[in-house]
Amino acid sequence: MEFEGAFELEGVEPEDAWVMLSDPIAVRDALKGCRYITPLDDEDFNFDDYEAEEDVETLPEADPEEVADRAFREETDYAALMQVGVGSVKPRFETQVRIGERDDENYVMTATGSGAASSSEFEMESWMEIEETENGSRINWGTEADVSGRVAQLGNRVLNPVADKIVNNFFNNIEQQMTDVEESDEGGVTSRLRNML
Amino acid sequence: MSSETRDKPDAKYREDEDGGPNPEKDCGHDRGGMGEEVKRKEDRRFITGRGNYVDDIKKEGMLHCEIVRSPHAHANVESINTERAEKMDEVVAVLTAEDLAAHDLATMPTLMDDTQEVLVRDKVKFQSQEVAAVIATDRYAAKDGAERVEVEYDTLDPVVEAEKAKDEDAPVVREDLDQDDNHIFTWETGDEEATEEAFEEAPVTVEEDMYYQRLHPAPIETCGCVADWDQDDEKMTVHMTSQAPHAHRTLFSMVSGIPENKVRIVSPDVGGGFGNKVPIYPGYVVAAAASYVLERPVKWVEERSENIQTTSFARDYDMTGRIAATEDGEITAVDVDVLADHGAYNAAAQPSKFPAGFFKIFTGSYDIEHAHGTVDAYYTNTAPGGIAYRCSFRVTEAVYLIERMVKALAQELDMDPAEVRRKNFIPKEAFPYESSTGWTYDSGDYERALDKALESVDYDELREEQQRRIANDDDKLLGIGLSTFTEIVGAGPGKQCDIAGVEMFDSAEIRVHPTGNATVRIGVQTQGQGHETTFAQIVAEELGLDVEDVTVEHGDTDTEPYGLGTYASRSTPVGGAATAVAARKVREKAKSIASNELEVAEEDVVWDRQSGAFHVKGAPDRSLTIEEIAGASYMNSPPDEEPGLEAVDYYDPPNMTFPFGAYVCVVEVDRETGEVDIRNFYALDDCGNRINPMIVEGQVHGGVAQGIGTAMLEHVTYDDEGNVTAGDFMNYLLPTSMEIPEIETDYTVTPSPHHPIGAKGVGESPTVGSPPAVVNAVVDAMEHAGVTHVDMPMTPDRVWEVLDDAGLAIDPAENMEFDIDVEDASADD
Repeated sequence: MEFEGAFELEGVEPEDAWVMLSDPIAVRDALKGCRYITPLDDEDFNFDDYEAEEDVETLPEADPEEVADRAFREETDYAALMQVGVGSVKPRFETQVRIGERDDENYVMTATGSGAASSSEFEMESWMEIEETENGSRINWGTEADVSGRVAQLGNRVLNPVADKIVNNFFNNIEQQMTDVEESDEGGVTSRLRNML
Repeated sequence: MSSETRDKPDAKYREDEDGGPNPEKDCGHDRGGMGEEVKRKEDRRFITGRGNYVDDIKKEGMLHCEIVRSPHAHANVESINTERAEKMDEVVAVLTAEDLAAHDLATMPTLMDDTQEVLVRDKVKFQSQEVAAVIATDRYAAKDGAERVEVEYDTLDPVVEAEKAKDEDAPVVREDLDQDDNHIFTWETGDEEATEEAFEEAPVTVEEDMYYQRLHPAPIETCGCVADWDQDDEKMTVHMTSQAPHAHRTLFSMVSGIPENKVRIVSPDVGGGFGNKVPIYPGYVVAAAASYVLERPVKWVEERSENIQTTSFARDYDMTGRIAATEDGEITAVDVDVLADHGAYNAAAQPSKFPAGFFKIFTGSYDIEHAHGTVDAYYTNTAPGGIAYRCSFRVTEAVYLIERMVKALAQELDMDPAEVRRKNFIPKEAFPYESSTGWTYDSGDYERALDKALESVDYDELREEQQRRIANDDDKLLGIGLSTFTEIVGAGPGKQCDIAGVEMFDSAEIRVHPTGNATVRIGVQTQGQGHETTFAQIVAEELGLDVEDVTVEHGDTDTEPYGLGTYASRSTPVGGAATAVAARKVREKAKSIASNELEVAEEDVVWDRQSGAFHVKGAPDRSLTIEEIAGASYMNSPPDEEPGLEAVDYYDPPNMTFPFGAYVCVVEVDRETGEVDIRNFYALDDCGNRINPMIVEGQVHGGVAQGIGTAMLEHVTYDDEGNVTAGDFMNYLLPTSMEIPEIETDYTVTPSPHHPIGAKGVGESPTVGSPPAVVNAVVDAMEHAGVTHVDMPMTPDRVWEVLDDAGLAIDPAENMEFDIDVEDASADD
């Protein structure tokens, strides 16, 4: 099934949005039901044992160098744990995401991933791009997902509103985080960061 | 099927000396015998919440089993990693196909001689198929453990519909059978050539495509079991939701190698079966294997969605019917082609010599000279099934076909459907009637039933109202649907019908105790039908006991005589007959004891049904009740008789019974919303002599409700990937009291001539007979605009489309009072 949409970030420059959306911690905090997103550099990564660090600072409080250091990298795998309530079920998806392309000039990022929960599985290919608008930026995004198992049984009628809700909620949170950054960004943290990326 | 009565040693008990009970005339002796509305004995424990269902059973040290199921419909299993689950403290074991193979339990036979994996080793063939099982100390831990079992799949393209499974390029579901297509069987009945000729000669022919959609029987209690291996006794006891405990014991023994005398199957209280609990499912085998290996009791109980998605479905017959007739409406031939979806295994539960069940009953209540039918069955990547959901094997599909075709013919001829039926009914003088597809109908009086039905609903007035509404361009159209169906129930005879080789007889054992009450053990079992009451009534009737003094036991293979189970309305026709015959054997012995007590020759002792006692011929005051005789049988037994008073009977019926009915459904079809409102539903059933009219009525209510669910709401749907998209009660819609109208029940009585108490079956007639009545009504409401068919389920959107195509739909905007731009609103659509 396919999902796609666009989200307007008012008063947010594309480059600032790009920085925020490149930070796994910021993404985790904005994504409801996401326990962690962490680089998957260990073959024996164990979803049960891994304990996500809590209360990690994000911009504007965080150290820009740290944020730059942990930003998504091209051709890199990440492990994510997501729990989403869909209709009558609440699967806990153990997910692997591979960041594909990251185009810093045009603000385009692609990712592929797959996840499994007890009775559901999915594979997906996602993309997003950020474009400048009159009052800020617009994020266009899309996902092509192959869903199977219990979640798929619920069908589009149930899945589409849930996906919309999660995504809108996510961008709203991002927008809120951005506003926090804008308000406190006296020294131009994001532009310094942008250079580091 | 032959109607000959086989020469059997107990044939004399079939024909009672006084012709058997006639509830319409001479019952009513107030002992709770035949024809009395005795309140159900079992209801006290059900109403007070003291029923004992499988999930109520708790045993010391009991473990819980949760099945790991495939999210994919078609996929190779690459690897199964159980480590993470096994690490959990509460998890005792994780079983895979490898573990089962070590005990030779990796596969199990289906009732149609196919082989199904208990847990998948190589290839998943339908979504939610069983892949592994987690055994843990409590149910929640088992579920958590199941989440931690990691299965890697390599997904394959699935084939989801029979139509697509036919394709040469379709993915092959069953390479394991060494076949490179998905075909299961082609079955044929009747004379094709003669039928074709009749069609060529006929001045009128009608053809109609209709899909009898995939349904799920949806018993309120899902399937489950508690398996308990006793290492000291080397005995396996399984309490399970079984409609056929004895047959299941035989299968368990055959599959496991445990001797049959060391296998005990108990079917405790069962919350509805409807055919769903006839097959053996992997969960039962896994629980038993786990108990055997771990030497602890293991419970497995399905969740609702597991029940809907993996246990046997029903129907899924895609049918093309043709009917040929003279210009004045005499039917000369009928022909049907069926494309059947059997899912991933051929696992229908029906007599093994009948791959398409009793579908050849499709000539229905009509005297049709030429008939021909074929069924082509295919494997698909969907759950296996094709069971008899509250019907005798595939009779529901057959009845739907013929009742729809008769309606279609009436439309073509512009005749009243009641008249077409009347014209073609098998006349009552013609019974026993040999049908052109080879059945021998035992008895019937179809015209009387139809007449009574039409009069009861004031048919002529309904027809006038229908025309008035059309003339007035009413928003709601009236439709009147008829269904004058004939069922075929009560399999055997054993030589024709068997389950896994075991002949379909049934049994009863009656023991009258010294103080004059009785225990009856029966081979059939109840899932809510009320056997504990009706079988007691049969014995009360035949022995002159009070129904309160008769206890019925069922469902425990350690104590009950062997029987083939309760499904396909066979309990009364076969088990009820065994009970009556066993009672008559007891009576025969009682007579001999009575003659000893009364000091007269045996031929001078007569049994009086009305008083329920024996007396000396010509001297009614010299009498003995069965209670008195029971005492004598233990305390003063005649020198030439064994002491005690008991008998057993294994009854192999000479033929099936053919209950019938005349149903009228009246609907209002809303031209604006497509909603169908069932205004009233009239159900006249003739099931021969009725044992307990109140229970019959209850059965009819339940069956009509399920039939309305079928017609209006229910459909197990899949998407192209093989995901079940109606796999829970949010999406698989069952009717509630809101959708079911007041049901008016009625009856006629045409006893079965070969059944000891003249009874037929009734539990399934309403499920079988009602869907065509509802569909005929909806079509009837729109036929003036050329509508000839609406497929089930007739949801409002589907009906609205038909209305729209026929030019009958009313644009909702026309009825709105406020001013909106109609053109703009529809442009958005």
